Amino acid sequence: MTAQRPLGLGTHIFVPDADAAVEFYRAAFGATELIRHHLPDGRILFVELAFGPDKLLLSQEIPELDARAPASVGGSPVMLLLELDDVDTTFAGAIARGATVERPVAEMFWGERYGIVRDPFGHRWALCTRRELLAPDQVAERVPNQEAEIASWADARLESGD
Amino acid sequence: MLTAAGFQVLLAVASGHTHGYAVMRFVEELTGGRVRLGPGTLYRTIARLVADDVVTESETHDPSAPHDARRRYYQLTALGEQAVREESEQLARMVDAARTAGLLDPQRRTA
Repeated sequence: MTAQRPLGLGTHIFVPDADAAVEFYRAAFGATELIRHHLPDGRILFVELAFGPDKLLLSQEIPELDARAPASVGGSPVMLLLELDDVDTTFAGAIARGATVERPVAEMFWGERYGIVRDPFGHRWALCTRRELLAPDQVAERVPNQEAEIASWADARLESGD
Repeated sequence: MLTAAGFQVLLAVASGHTHGYAVMRFVEELTGGRVRLGPGTLYRTIARLVADDVVTESETHDPSAPHDARRRYYQLTALGEQAVREESEQLARMVDAARTAGLLDPQRRTA
């Protein structure tokens, strides 16, 4: 039996403080709030945010429903990718609002200016701006193949204090 | 940047279908039933257009009515008028290209 062709893919994240997270994503990343639903006790069940043409669902951490934020599960194995016109300004703004640097913004071999932050709620965001329009084989030619280059990547991450 | 649903709503409002229900009906009729904006999609699309300042809720709605996008009236802002014009021109260029490529019945008036 073949898989059905999906109609779409969304992302649903959990945070310890939904109000603060909505405000952070609005102010730092330019998100637009579309919908908000509450539980009868006033806790936020979910908020739907638009980022450009894409959407993100966000919920308050509710341990009794097994809805846990990154700190409650020891971190996050997921990275959210956000493309912007000016990655440096957004990166600096996110840090000023309480995010931490995981990887400083730098030019990347795949043709983007790119950096990674961890937001105040524990989610990891890769912020990027397209710089060059490269074909896949051009990117393949540029993949670092020297151990020293890969090690320098790891060093940049360590120096950023993570 | 306009989504497909965003453009359809702006087109409906620009055509004089300023009430949420009228917008839904207009889009359904225009697309021969292929596109149905359900109340959830309509609400999200309009919330986005309002946040982007391309549409505003007009003053003629009943303020005591429940907050339901289908029951409210909308109008284009100057920015919204510009956005829907630019998108229309872009789409018209694609339709012209489709005609040149022989993809449209030349007898049929489409533009």
